[in-house]
Amino acid sequence: MSKNPPEAFNLRMTVYCALFTALIIIGSYISIPVPIGPVPIVLADFFIMTAGLFLGCKYGLVSVALYLGLGIIGLPVFAGGKAGLAAFFGPTGGFLAGYLLLVALVGWIAGKTRPAVLTHALALMAGTLLLYAAGIPWLKLVTGMAWGAALTAGLVPFIPGTIIKIIAVLAVARVLLPQFRQRSGFQQYPRESVSLSHRAPAADAAPQINKGD
Amino acid sequence: MAPVTFFHCIPRDTLLHRMDARLKLLCLVLLSVAVSFAVAPAHYLAALCAVMAALFTAELPLPALLKDMKIFGVIIAIVLVVDAFSIPGPPIPNFPVPGVSLPGVVTGLRFAGRLTIIIMACAVMTGTTSLLTFKNVVEWYLRPVPFIPEARVAMMINLTFVFIPLIFDQYVEMMSAQKARCADLRKNPIRRISFIVLPLLSRTLRRTDEIVYAMEARCYSETRTRPRFKTHPADWLILAAAAAALVFILYYPCA
Amino acid sequence: MPVLETQNLTHIFPDGTAAIQDISLRINAGEFIVIAGANGSGKTVFIRHLNGLLVPTSGRVLIDGEPIGKNITAARQKIGLIFQDSDSQIVGQTVAEDVAFGPENLNLPREEVERIVPEALAAVGLSDLAAQSPHTLSGGQKRKLAVAGILAMRPEIIIFDEPFTGLDYPGVVQVLRQIVQLHQAGHTIVVITHELEKVLAHADRLAIFCRGRLAENGAPENIVIRAENYGIRLPLRHGGTVGELTWLR
Repeated sequence: MSKNPPEAFNLRMTVYCALFTALIIIGSYISIPVPIGPVPIVLADFFIMTAGLFLGCKYGLVSVALYLGLGIIGLPVFAGGKAGLAAFFGPTGGFLAGYLLLVALVGWIAGKTRPAVLTHALALMAGTLLLYAAGIPWLKLVTGMAWGAALTAGLVPFIPGTIIKIIAVLAVARVLLPQFRQRSGFQQYPRESVSLSHRAPAADAAPQINKGD
Repeated sequence: MAPVTFFHCIPRDTLLHRMDARLKLLCLVLLSVAVSFAVAPAHYLAALCAVMAALFTAELPLPALLKDMKIFGVIIAIVLVVDAFSIPGPPIPNFPVPGVSLPGVVTGLRFAGRLTIIIMACAVMTGTTSLLTFKNVVEWYLRPVPFIPEARVAMMINLTFVFIPLIFDQYVEMMSAQKARCADLRKNPIRRISFIVLPLLSRTLRRTDEIVYAMEARCYSETRTRPRFKTHPADWLILAAAAAALVFILYYPCA
Repeated sequence: MPVLETQNLTHIFPDGTAAIQDISLRINAGEFIVIAGANGSGKTVFIRHLNGLLVPTSGRVLIDGEPIGKNITAARQKIGLIFQDSDSQIVGQTVAEDVAFGPENLNLPREEVERIVPEALAAVGLSDLAAQSPHTLSGGQKRKLAVAGILAMRPEIIIFDEPFTGLDYPGVVQVLRQIVQLHQAGHTIVVITHELEKVLAHADRLAIFCRGRLAENGAPENIVIRAENYGIRLPLRHGGTVGELTWLR
């Protein structure tokens, strides 16, 4: 995959990053608290997985980092209206940091392989594993629960929801991803300050266009 | 309309509305650091006084703010109850409910106090500062940070807040259109998620394309006119007051 | 000499469909031209080439005789484009903020931005709403805001893409009056529409697009009678004249 020069600013992808940040924020407001533990079910990770598939590793990371950044500077964007650095040190802090790992891994695997349902499913499952691998030890550490209790609170109640979310992401990607890739690969006039390569900005978002397969 | 009415700026002409937003953000940070060190009741009282003074200076409508804070009230209540029962320690003498520990209640109350004060401080900040100013302040603070393109980050923050109400409006519209066609009778959860997300995402993606074109049509550029900040002498006094609250909490003996 | 000219403009999408084919059109300074066509006739794709939002597969666009690729920012400053969906054109959280977006992009000095914004708002009659959120405006007001955002960049040519879609009667009149006013102030005006009966009386020229090609181009009274051949409602009753085709008055 070709590397973009750092100054090759891609307005389209940057705006898409902001869109996904907004979707993730809305997703965290559609959250259901679980009575038996401190981890709520959120749709935020649904949109984070979608961001990984659609935006790829680099822009997906930007999108999630922006979301976390908005939370850190004090805007109530995390699940249940939480905000601030305190949320990172709370019981669900590991999941917040895990979101970065999730989007990076999903975007990376999806960018390295041919776009197909199977590879997408693989990417999503690997990413989810990484998310829980970051979230549950932190939950155990902060709350002082035993491993069994931490798994019961932080993993077991979410297994069905997570499987449903992964399948839904796959369904959404199958329908929308081809159009999305085509549009984000449109040609543009060079701007005076911008590098003169016509195709460079689309490199991360549209691997199949650039590889020509 | 939007789920986060909390971000809304309420235009007034008060000391805090006119205050240099860079210093205002600094005050907010100082105050939240101060509150995180608060232990004794006197600490909380000091911080609460500072926030209440700010709230009244800003002339914000208290009832509307309280309504917005309801969701946080629920969170506080849950934490209070969970802490009271789960943290081990000696019970409170003569307390009618068994199983409630004294350290549990104290920890819970401290958490509740911290969260309430921080949320009120945030409400004052967002109520007196427009999002554009907020964006400009973030941009200003990011300017000396290396490797972060501050104009781009600030633009993304701005766009995120443009998108949130757009997406939410579309979500509400679509949900009612689907209810009209009895989509809620569907049992399969995967189907239900994709019925919501597919049209929502495809419409917002198309919308985003339009926004990109509109920004390009208006010559979007990262080398743009810089915002201007004005600092009044009174702003420094307010900052000093916030700093004083921090010093008081750090050095006043804990109980 | 035409202020804006396209030569054999063709755009073929990646999936092979031709959106526009071989379009050569000259627009003279100070002209008021209406471009009509059924849905999918390529009008919107065509005007998005005029300020370089889309790059043609072949052919070129000239402004004052120069290809627009030479200085794309200058071209976009000179040609203001009012989008069909004003909601997606609005990026500011207040009316004044949105108008300032363009001049700030051009990196004008802060004092000048603060002078231009109230001027542009006054020109469209939105001065009283400067501090409002654009979300609270009516359809007609939103389109006026979009016009103010363009005016703040001091364009020569203003292009309206379907300016009447989704507006009620007062909204249409508001926007139409605005367009006529801008023309009188010396701007070159291009209006894309399929609702000829609302605007044609003010136009100097009518061009009709059909399936991506320029089918007709000339004086409105000569061409309008053939409109129905191209899927556009014939706006004239028997014996009527083009001069009646306006929603003003």
